[in-house]
Amino acid sequence: MELFLQQVMTGLATGSVYGLVALAIVLIYRSTDVINFAQGEMAMFTTFFAWMLIDGSFLGFHIHPLHFWIAFALTLVFAATMGALLERIVIRPVEGRPILTIVIVTLGLFSIFNNLATWSWGGIPKAFPAPPEIHVTGITFFGDGALDIGPTVISYHDLTIMVVAVGIMLALYVFFQYTPIGLAMRGTAQNPVAARLMGIHVGNILTLGWALSALVGAVGGMMIAPLVLLQPPMMMGVLLYAFAAAVLGGMDSPPGAVVGGLTLGIVENLVGTYTTEEYLHVDWFGPEMKLTAALVVIVLVLLIRPTGLFGRRALRRV
Amino acid sequence: MLRPIIARRKLLAFALLAFFLFYWIPFSHVFPGWGPFPLQFGSYRVFQATTIAMWAIVALGLNLLTGYNGQISLGHGAFVAVGGYTAAILMFDHGWPFWATIPVAGFMTGTVGFLVGVPALRLTGPYLAIATLALAISTPQILLKYEGLTHGSQGINVNSPPPPAVLDGVLNQTQWLYFLALVIAIIMTIIAWNIVRSRVGRAFVAIRDSEIAAQAMGISVPRFKTMAFAISAFFAGICGGVYVQVIGFVSPRSFDVLQSINYLTTIVVGGLASILGSILGAAVFVLVPEVNSLLEGLHLPAADQAPDVLYGASLILVMIFMPYGFAGFIRRVGRLQPPLVMQSFSDFFGQIGLRVRTARSVLPGGSGGASTPRKEGPRPDASDREKEDGSS
Repeated sequence: MELFLQQVMTGLATGSVYGLVALAIVLIYRSTDVINFAQGEMAMFTTFFAWMLIDGSFLGFHIHPLHFWIAFALTLVFAATMGALLERIVIRPVEGRPILTIVIVTLGLFSIFNNLATWSWGGIPKAFPAPPEIHVTGITFFGDGALDIGPTVISYHDLTIMVVAVGIMLALYVFFQYTPIGLAMRGTAQNPVAARLMGIHVGNILTLGWALSALVGAVGGMMIAPLVLLQPPMMMGVLLYAFAAAVLGGMDSPPGAVVGGLTLGIVENLVGTYTTEEYLHVDWFGPEMKLTAALVVIVLVLLIRPTGLFGRRALRRV
Repeated sequence: MLRPIIARRKLLAFALLAFFLFYWIPFSHVFPGWGPFPLQFGSYRVFQATTIAMWAIVALGLNLLTGYNGQISLGHGAFVAVGGYTAAILMFDHGWPFWATIPVAGFMTGTVGFLVGVPALRLTGPYLAIATLALAISTPQILLKYEGLTHGSQGINVNSPPPPAVLDGVLNQTQWLYFLALVIAIIMTIIAWNIVRSRVGRAFVAIRDSEIAAQAMGISVPRFKTMAFAISAFFAGICGGVYVQVIGFVSPRSFDVLQSINYLTTIVVGGLASILGSILGAAVFVLVPEVNSLLEGLHLPAADQAPDVLYGASLILVMIFMPYGFAGFIRRVGRLQPPLVMQSFSDFFGQIGLRVRTARSVLPGGSGGASTPRKEGPRPDASDREKEDGSS
């Protein structure tokens, strides 16, 4: 039981990261119908930016190493700017083209970011720091330790991941539900033409969507980096899980992305734990096939609900 | 008067093409005295041409599915793997002759494609893309796990077939494999050509453009959609069979996810819903690494990653400036219409906020054709259609 809870907790933590990146994918898909294959690499790139700030070697110049959370905030600004610029310069020219064209453009971005990162920072994995300890009135937050919660323990970093993920999700919820810009974004996602008629500058909203998505992805990158080591291919696995999570939840549903991510994280961890020789005495299955198992589950879910758990069915006018 | 002239011109073009494919590529390097003539095809070039023929087969199949039928597949690497492993196992474990394994690989993979196509009926757009991507991701893991059948991570080594005794001394190994791949690719091209211009091909296109309209015209949508999957997988299986003969080796690593994504890139860059596009895409794709050696020749202070960065950038530029891929570009040039490049160029700067005057209005063909680019060419994706929100 302890092991089970332990694995569920770890699953929730990694699942939060999948959920964050899935959220980033969904944010773009909802408003523009684009599946952004470069999402993971954008997150990786911005995480390298954060690493430079924390490490104190900015593009070869020595700078004063910044505190984790200051670097975190600066990275968010950088990510949002990068996302907005990408939308303006690279995506805007192919707007309205067939979906596959845009998908190939994002694959091009994937290749550019991946290889630029290898070029600039090399392929050697770098340790990315977890958020440092903070003491508030005698209670320690973050840092290396683990929190004892009755039947099981949870490491501070896993806790940080979950807290940050929940924070981002709440912030997005408030943004979409209670701010005029959020309302404009929802309107644009549902019907760009009507939104334009209502006086919304659809172009700016799309740019904002990309900025927001890059920002959410960057948070995901900085949260997973301490676990997987910072290196150019670090987001590939995460990206595949995030796609799967987004599809599982429904490509146009932000809450779905989160639920999909958490489910996938838990399923992955449990399958990885309970299919070892110790528990499962068959030779046609094992923990090395946990990704396959997770994908089979997703395909089965899709067969029953073709637009994911929370996705709306797209009705077509004939 | 006109018809015979066109026919003669076509005949001439075919003769030139045949000369190039059947004589120049495989044999030009044996000409004495040609020296550093740039169009001489060395042994390595012949191998590259073989690879192009091989990838063209799978690109044709994927284009039938994605370009003509509108179903996205990110999992064709899995189908190539099934074909490749079928051929390799039959040759290695059962001692079949190579020529018998290729069609079996095709039909085996076609069956698998049919089985994948049935559940795929329920999925569209990104959901289908991710479900097929899942297929591509799982394939290497499955191949690794069931090593009793697949020989696990060490893969299967197969001897590439030597030239038959009749041709001994005429063709060396590389040339023989080239002809093998070329002839199969030509047969597959003819098959694809005929499918596209038949009732089946028109049904594919009708379903892509509107499933409901197609249904109203009496086309069985499920039947033709699964058929598209099966045919497409058949092509991929044949490619897998040829792959084993040419490379002589299969392992789970031969068929990773990137491979599947590359196939999709190939057909989009080459041109969706175009036979020529599939072949051009394969050629572009095989020849891209050549840029690498070009850059090395320039002695730029760039790292190993420079060609890949350029590759990514050129993918984006091709998509911006050649909306219908290389085939669309050539089609317009052939019709003496200005290629969409100029139009896209001004659009590009217009859209990022700069206005540039281009001379497109004075180009032959006028702006009439250029101003309605979206009417032409394929609309390959279902999610491209008007979506309505049902709940509001």
